[in-house]
Amino acid sequence: MKTLFLYIDPGSGSYLVQVIIAAILGGAFWIKKFWRGIRSFFTSLFASFFTRRKKDP
Amino acid sequence: MTNPPADSIPPPRVPHPASFRDPAGFVFTIDDVIYRQVNRSYAELYEQLMKSGLYAKLTHDSFLIPHTEAPDSPIQSPNPDRQSHYKTLLPRKLSRLSYPGEWCAAQLRDAALLTLKIQRLAMEYNMTMKDATPFNIQFDNGSPIFIDTLSFDLYDPAKPWIAYRQFCECFLFPLYLHRYTQTGTGKISTAWPDGIPVPTTARLLPLKSRWNAGVWLHVFLQNHVGSRQPAASEQNLRFSKAKLSNLIEHLQSIVTRLNPAGNNRSAWSNYYDETILGKAYLEEKERLFRQYLDDIEFADALDLGCNDGWFSKILTKTGAPVIAVDSDCQCIDKLYRDQNPNILPLCVDLTNPTPATGFRNAEQSSFTDRAPSDLVTALALVHHLALHNNIPLSLIADYLSQLAKKYLIIEFIPLSDPKATELIARKQSPTIDYDAAHFESAFSRDFRIQRKDQVPGTERLLYLLKKI
Repeated sequence: MKTLFLYIDPGSGSYLVQVIIAAILGGAFWIKKFWRGIRSFFTSLFASFFTRRKKDP
Repeated sequence: MTNPPADSIPPPRVPHPASFRDPAGFVFTIDDVIYRQVNRSYAELYEQLMKSGLYAKLTHDSFLIPHTEAPDSPIQSPNPDRQSHYKTLLPRKLSRLSYPGEWCAAQLRDAALLTLKIQRLAMEYNMTMKDATPFNIQFDNGSPIFIDTLSFDLYDPAKPWIAYRQFCECFLFPLYLHRYTQTGTGKISTAWPDGIPVPTTARLLPLKSRWNAGVWLHVFLQNHVGSRQPAASEQNLRFSKAKLSNLIEHLQSIVTRLNPAGNNRSAWSNYYDETILGKAYLEEKERLFRQYLDDIEFADALDLGCNDGWFSKILTKTGAPVIAVDSDCQCIDKLYRDQNPNILPLCVDLTNPTPATGFRNAEQSSFTDRAPSDLVTALALVHHLALHNNIPLSLIADYLSQLAKKYLIIEFIPLSDPKATELIARKQSPTIDYDAAHFESAFSRDFRIQRKDQVPGTERLLYLLKKI
């Protein structure tokens, strides 16, 4: 029987660290999305407030 | 193509001394032509690469070196490789080879980005890269190109990237160290050809680097996890394609932002702009240089001490490929950014040129083995080697004779020249045997003087020497 070896050693902890980094990046993505949501809410709120004021004589 | 007669025994396929790690195949050379054998064990993956469209995409984008499939005829029954042989590939020939120890940081950065782009593309075609080493990359026409056609494996979305650690140690960490300590990346790659280990990088990076999120994740977190986590327990970890895509994209954004240009001025970066000899000297030297080029024929050139590459660029106008060498990585960086397809800029110190490295000192050949060219130019260089590094003129002549196959254009700067005076100003002992007569005598052993001119307005001498 032929024994197959891995071509390179991924390194101890290398898989786990990718799992952790991916989780952090995923978390950062949601935080960014959440933050953008809040920002766009306020931006549109202020925008409509100022447009209304401009329209008011 | 006609088959060879049945009784002719084909030459043995002797693997290249660096081609022994990967069981998928090996590289061999017959009559100066480089081939790559694909072994039967890799047949399925090779077909996946070719039929999935990944090969077509990668070669179309000039990411991967294109190849043709050579007919099987050279494999005959007496050949022991027949059992393992699946196909023989004939990759497009590269004019010159270089290694990461000779690259400036911008070259390593572009090689890193190429690796990441290929990994992202491979994932789209259900494949992944099984390794990520800069030795799989060469520079061709001014850009990096991936040369290992057998580096692809089937992609299992449940698994993280097997080559992640190798990518960090070979590409990302030398770039980080250069970013924070301005060490250059070449010496790091030379000292750690398999990549600078995570714990070493963590110890070498300065404290302020911890404020960088990328450093924190890829260096310190990896160091922390790696020192505590036994590898066996990792096998059951689940991953996904979206997660790996995010990770690769994150690495891409980090490496893209690690722009090694900087504003650091090197000793030679404005040599021609600021030298007291200035523009007039440069114009006169260029006029003579062009005259010399009109008198000779050469297929390739090597510009030693190329500085900002002014004369390398003149050399390329003849159509010849040029290796431009300087020990100052800032100059090489600047020249590399010009993206001249005919210039291969390399950061090499001539007083300590790249040695032959790897197992048996045979995996990567030395600079001296790779560099010989029809024409060698050494302008404003000899006085540095002789006066600063104390290398006798006879030894300089010997070495340049090793590198020049046909011609040598060389400048001699006498002791009376302000630049030479500067070099010996702090030396105690008087310099001996350094004058035009000794210079000509040293070079006359292997060369014949074809032209000799004084650069007008200076005492500097320019020579066109022909190899005897």
